[in-house]
Amino acid sequence: MKSRIRKREQDPDITRRSRLLLYVAFGAFALLLGRLYWLQVVESERYRNLAENNRLRLRTVRAPRGLILDRKGRAIAETQGSFDLVCSPVDVMDLEAEIGLLAEIVEFDVDNNEVLDKIRTAKRTNPFSGITVARDLRFEQVSVIEFNRENLPGFSVLVAAKRSYPYGTAFAHVLGYVGEASPQELDQSKDDSLAMGDLVGKYGLERLMDDDLRGVNGGRKVEVDAAGRDQRLVEEVPSRSGGAVHTSLDADLQVTAQDALGNRAGAVIALAPRTGEVLAFFSGPAFDPNVFARGIRKAEWQALNTDPRKPMQNKGLQGTYAPGSTIKPFLAMAALEEKMQEREKLVFCPGSYRLGNRVFRCWREKGHGAVDMYRAIVQSCDVYFYTLGLKLGPDRVAKLEKDAGLGTITGIDLPGERKGLVPDAEWKRTVSKERWYDYESVLLGIGQGAVHLTPLEVSVGYAALATGGEVMGPRVVSKVIAKDGKVRVHAPKMLRKLPWTPENVEFIRKALAGVVNDYGTGGAAKLPGIVVGGKTGTAQVASVKGKMIKSEDLPYEIRDHAWFVAFAPVDDPQIVVAAMVEHGGHGGSAAAPIVKAVMQEFFRTRPVGPPRKEGA
Amino acid sequence: MTGPSKWARMDWPLLINALALCAIGLLNVYSGTRVHGTPGTALVVKQLVWILLGVAGFFAVFLISDGFIEETANGFFLAVLLLLVVVLLAGKVRGGAQRWIAFGAFNFQPSEFAKIAVTLALARYLSSKYRYGGIGLKEFLPGIGFVLAPFLLVALQPDLGSAGVFLFILAGMAVVACVHWKVLAFFAAAGVGAVPVLWFFMKEYQRQRVLTFMNPELDPLGAGYHVIQSKIAVGSGGIIGKGYLQGTQGSLRFLPEQHTDFAFAVFSEEWGFLGSLLLLALFLLLVYRLFFLAAGSQDRFASVACGGIAVFFRTHMVINLAMVCGLFPVVGIPLPFVSYGGSSMLTGMMALGVAANLSRSRFTFQGSGGRGRGIDS
Repeated sequence: MKSRIRKREQDPDITRRSRLLLYVAFGAFALLLGRLYWLQVVESERYRNLAENNRLRLRTVRAPRGLILDRKGRAIAETQGSFDLVCSPVDVMDLEAEIGLLAEIVEFDVDNNEVLDKIRTAKRTNPFSGITVARDLRFEQVSVIEFNRENLPGFSVLVAAKRSYPYGTAFAHVLGYVGEASPQELDQSKDDSLAMGDLVGKYGLERLMDDDLRGVNGGRKVEVDAAGRDQRLVEEVPSRSGGAVHTSLDADLQVTAQDALGNRAGAVIALAPRTGEVLAFFSGPAFDPNVFARGIRKAEWQALNTDPRKPMQNKGLQGTYAPGSTIKPFLAMAALEEKMQEREKLVFCPGSYRLGNRVFRCWREKGHGAVDMYRAIVQSCDVYFYTLGLKLGPDRVAKLEKDAGLGTITGIDLPGERKGLVPDAEWKRTVSKERWYDYESVLLGIGQGAVHLTPLEVSVGYAALATGGEVMGPRVVSKVIAKDGKVRVHAPKMLRKLPWTPENVEFIRKALAGVVNDYGTGGAAKLPGIVVGGKTGTAQVASVKGKMIKSEDLPYEIRDHAWFVAFAPVDDPQIVVAAMVEHGGHGGSAAAPIVKAVMQEFFRTRPVGPPRKEGA
Repeated sequence: MTGPSKWARMDWPLLINALALCAIGLLNVYSGTRVHGTPGTALVVKQLVWILLGVAGFFAVFLISDGFIEETANGFFLAVLLLLVVVLLAGKVRGGAQRWIAFGAFNFQPSEFAKIAVTLALARYLSSKYRYGGIGLKEFLPGIGFVLAPFLLVALQPDLGSAGVFLFILAGMAVVACVHWKVLAFFAAAGVGAVPVLWFFMKEYQRQRVLTFMNPELDPLGAGYHVIQSKIAVGSGGIIGKGYLQGTQGSLRFLPEQHTDFAFAVFSEEWGFLGSLLLLALFLLLVYRLFFLAAGSQDRFASVACGGIAVFFRTHMVINLAMVCGLFPVVGIPLPFVSYGGSSMLTGMMALGVAANLSRSRFTFQGSGGRGRGIDS
């Protein structure tokens, strides 16, 4: 044993070498110490932030969008729960593979590449945001996703709010629709109240009242693990839901209007004449705003935009049409107010009217014989109004019509309103550098020629006839209960009070009542127990030479537009209804039944009292 | 010869130092394995068993009679080589590498034991070739053979990290055993020249690790992820740390291998710069003590072996800490006594047992039993 131990007192070099290695160790530890000092003392703040970014996610708690209600307090636009597939870009591991899997297991509605691009962009610009990939998943889809959760890091199913329109297509153009805020909308949003993925109104009341309807988003600060799963709620700021918008619309009336128009194209508008309240406002064909709420597909959008009957257009205030005979009461009114023609004056109608070498036909080939103003309105005699148009000339007619709201912006609280045209001599000079010709005055008498109006303008004009000269600004919103609880009432707004002579007003009303009740053209709108007054209109789209051809026999695109505008009860008008059917044929047969249906529904729940004596 | 008893010649500071590190490690395993709220008690108990086994191993080795270790060094070395071959043929594959042998419920890594075996066999060879003025190239070359065989076997697993440790041990022991300067310089130059060759033989994931080490931001969610998350853990600890069990990088699973190779990241996140300082001090003390024993031993084999063991610990500590701090590519080298793991714990404790055993010889020729004369003697 002793022999095995080699004394090494004579080996000082081993000691020296050991010491050298210890110094190397010192050096290495000094280096580590320096590194730790750098990381933990100098750069500590930066790494602390990075750790917090790792750990904490700010999740937007979207505020529910406010309700839109009808006049009876029924929700016509509401917010419901929906299972949405949401992506947190930063937590996604293999985007292509995961999207592929998702497309396979939930049969994606959304275009795959679109989603891919969106997530890729967000991964660079806003990795901690949440991107909604698919909305309103079915229960089976949710369970399959949850089952595959381990393979889908960064994707999760969240309960989110969905905009829902219980009446479907009925309120399409009035309510409009919502969609995710576009990049421009995000940029323009004041005070940054819009978050990515928020829904904003894109059309209709949803757009017009967006500030009121949109709530204030809240936030949840949550701790997540490395796989992006929520572990713990750190802090929460609750969201505040949007305000409620009360409208004067009546859902029953609206549905009736939709049903009455059926699958024909056109517009049906019902107003309360004394307040300007819009009771119903339907444009057909319509779209289903629910489709927009769940995210419209490209093909659906294309179909809507290429449909020749323009479902995205609100025909009630964006479509302009020749008013046809519905214009006649305004000419009569102008003649009486200007004292240009007595009511009793008889005009002989042989079936046509000759001016120079032009012949203007009356719709009744064999003529009306001698007619006074009352008969001319009731029978809608064209020859009478040819002569009246010529007698009045364009400027007098235009003045009265514009005063009554025709050819003007009515200022309704719906976006996109267009203005029709009521021509006068001045207009003719400016537009075609030509003088006004007499034949144009003749056409003026029956609402043909340059004149074209929106159904809304016609409704407002008839409301003025119904009220005896009160031109009320039409409005849909009656009251807003704002986010902060404050109530804003939208009071009726009178645009003008026209100094019409009561006797003249009384006469026109009586004549319009005659149209419906005294063997006139509007008999189809007759209601039992209620005196309806209205006027038919059949507006020519194309002039057909030669023999009279029934409108029904013409090809659809050149068939006449059918009008019927009425109010009731005549001695105390509570409702004005205008129906315009594009290429519908005769007003009396195509449009009058629609008005009747709407009025019937209106009076079903509103008993009419004994007739009130006007001016009593 | 009748010197003081073995127990009287026991180097207690060495064991106490190691146990202090074990205690820190145990606390850290508890924190590192808890998953938000639920504590990882199971692994803590397992680690405690490993520590007790390790201490038993320490004393078992310490109590081996004088000279036996040196005599059996070559046999031990051959046995471990055999185990390495067995691992390659029948070992368990985990994470793309064949490193483990299943042993009941426990898996162990022969490459860990190989580190002690190589140290002892090399110490025996080099100390027998000692010559004042330095060992020459001819005598040194067979010594390289002791390292080359296990190096290749481990590199084949593939475990380049552990294989690299053998080279550090070889280099360190060559220095302690007084290999001639010119020979050392020659091999240092050859080592530098070998880097491109090594690159050629690396597997793709190993190259990726080196590349991402150079620039972790190349692939922040892929290969660079470990380095970035580890630096975030360490850096976010700040000066005083987030507090025990308050770290988020580990418990929320942002750190990979948070209780094994990246244990220090968990520790320094919770204990901050001050905690790191303490841990570094304990490690430095351990390494210092081992070099002190190497310098002070009366026995040439004991000196060279202790030097080798010191190099073994120093290499592990420095590489692991450097890796966690983002100063070294990610390699699977655990932090002695602190990382969770049985093979590492047993190896560490038995290596210290060897050092304690060999250091008994300090007293043999001193007669008076005076303590070692320190490193400057």
